Amino acid sequence: MIPAKKVLNTLNEHWGVLELLFKRFKMADFSLKDVQNIIKMKNPNWSSERIYKETNRLLNQEIIIPLAKSSQLEINRAVADFASFLLQEEHLGLAEEITVLVKDLQRLGERLAQAGDEGDHSELRRFSRIMDERVRKIVKLYHHNESAIMNLVEQAKSDQGSLSLQKRYRAVIEAFDEYIEPMLEMVDIHGPFQACFTTIEHQISEQIAQIEQLGRGAQDKRMLEQLRTRILDMHLIGRESLGKSADMLMPLREELRRNTLITRQAAKVLGLIRKNGVDRMLAPVQPHFVSDIQRFSLGQQRHMVAYMASLSEFEHEEYQLPDQQDVPAYQSPNIPDYSDVRKSFKGSGKKRTALLGFLSEQYPALEADEMLFLYQKLISDPELDIAQDEQQQTMQIANTRIRLYPFSAADKQTDNHN
Amino acid sequence: MTQINLDELSQLQAINKKLVSGYHISEQDTTQWQELDQHIESYQALFNALGHDLQHDSRGFYYLASDESTPNMGKISRAIALTVFILIEHFANQGKDPLRALFDEVLDLELMQTLVQLNKHLFDQLEIFSGSDLRKDVCLRMVRLGLAREVEQGFSLLAPVYRYIDALMEVNEDNYDALEDEV
Repeated sequence: MIPAKKVLNTLNEHWGVLELLFKRFKMADFSLKDVQNIIKMKNPNWSSERIYKETNRLLNQEIIIPLAKSSQLEINRAVADFASFLLQEEHLGLAEEITVLVKDLQRLGERLAQAGDEGDHSELRRFSRIMDERVRKIVKLYHHNESAIMNLVEQAKSDQGSLSLQKRYRAVIEAFDEYIEPMLEMVDIHGPFQACFTTIEHQISEQIAQIEQLGRGAQDKRMLEQLRTRILDMHLIGRESLGKSADMLMPLREELRRNTLITRQAAKVLGLIRKNGVDRMLAPVQPHFVSDIQRFSLGQQRHMVAYMASLSEFEHEEYQLPDQQDVPAYQSPNIPDYSDVRKSFKGSGKKRTALLGFLSEQYPALEADEMLFLYQKLISDPELDIAQDEQQQTMQIANTRIRLYPFSAADKQTDNHN
Repeated sequence: MTQINLDELSQLQAINKKLVSGYHISEQDTTQWQELDQHIESYQALFNALGHDLQHDSRGFYYLASDESTPNMGKISRAIALTVFILIEHFANQGKDPLRALFDEVLDLELMQTLVQLNKHLFDQLEIFSGSDLRKDVCLRMVRLGLAREVEQGFSLLAPVYRYIDALMEVNEDNYDALEDEV
């Protein structure tokens, strides 16, 4: 018999080694050399003698034990269980495990009812105790599986890039298909579990009623009541745990589904692009952007269309620049030609005449500004002898009253000849 | 009738400048994003009246939707689309989670070169012949459109890239069949 305290001390001292052994080899076997290597790794400055001694210590205290008929070693089952409890390094059990336990529970329930009917109190107590144990075991399994799923999820989430997508999700998908789904089916309100529990509950209730009626075995009654409560509680715990597990796994499963979808779609579209060409494939689906240039330049489709349309109507036109002589002098259509005016003025006589008076007499139809234009031309004519009045006069021409120092003129040449 | 209080829209000028140039305002542009988040109704009404369609995507970005591009912008958009799709395929081939890798991994020059090499005939069609072409013609433009941001080693994609993922998912069998018929 190895004192417990001694074992605990060793465990404490070599916890690092054991943890590594446990994680590295899971439940598989390993060689003595592996153990020594790990001890060496954890304690690099230990001498080989010391390592040998420590390894022997682990062996002697049956923390690691040799496999039967082999030089391989394994971790003591009890220690391994303890370690898995401490490390929460739990592996997902199968839905079957729980199913078997529940079936057993059902069988035990029948036996219990039988024992009760026969009035065998010791049997009744015995079965009640066994059932109680089963129920605890099922609850433990629920908890165990829940934390196993939590580990799965943590693992799937924590590894960013190192694990491949497939590996990362394989565990998740497996957990879902092999545990969550069958279990959810079982705990469904119309599923086999519910029926089973109803029967058991019914049986137990009957026993309790019987005990009450007969007034015997008050202790048994209390025990049965406890069992019944525990079974109901177990059912509740199971549903809660499964619900929680499903909630944890669901997002990952969705993520995987979405990723597979996107990957597949990308592969498909790229395949199409390879076949049909980039522009052809992508033009109908590409997102569009608003851009400044787009709005201020010939860029949008409708601009292009308008532009091309006007281009098609375009004609090249010969255009000649005019010569200086070609430009005709501007003349208002109403104004008589100046040379005519001058001629008629000259013909009017040799004596000095008031220019405006002459103009309004000769061309009464002219507008005031047109008359003034001719007046101004006559004044500046070098062939006429111009003289200006000393006095200001107000004259009425073509409905306009003007006030000026009027010019009068006579034919210069005529004067010179005289 | 929405009452728009222009005094409240303190970032209007900056937001307008960014949006009309095709930029996507995402959470990295904290001030403007918050401003839009708070006054989205006013902004929507305002831009609507100006003939724009301000869209809020629940994945965390704002942009002006448009149903056509200039030929040049169209080409850029196609190049971006192709790059994003190829990236997804590339990450998936490496066994990574494509969607996560798309936003987490940094797009550096080495990766760009690999992408162009592996998909030479596709990028050739868009006149992208090397990793640095890809950087210049696609990545820098993505930064200008708010689809990516420059980081130390290269570029990292931002939420608005989801527009391209949506576009990717939009290509379905029907389009495919229609195209086949045309051929």
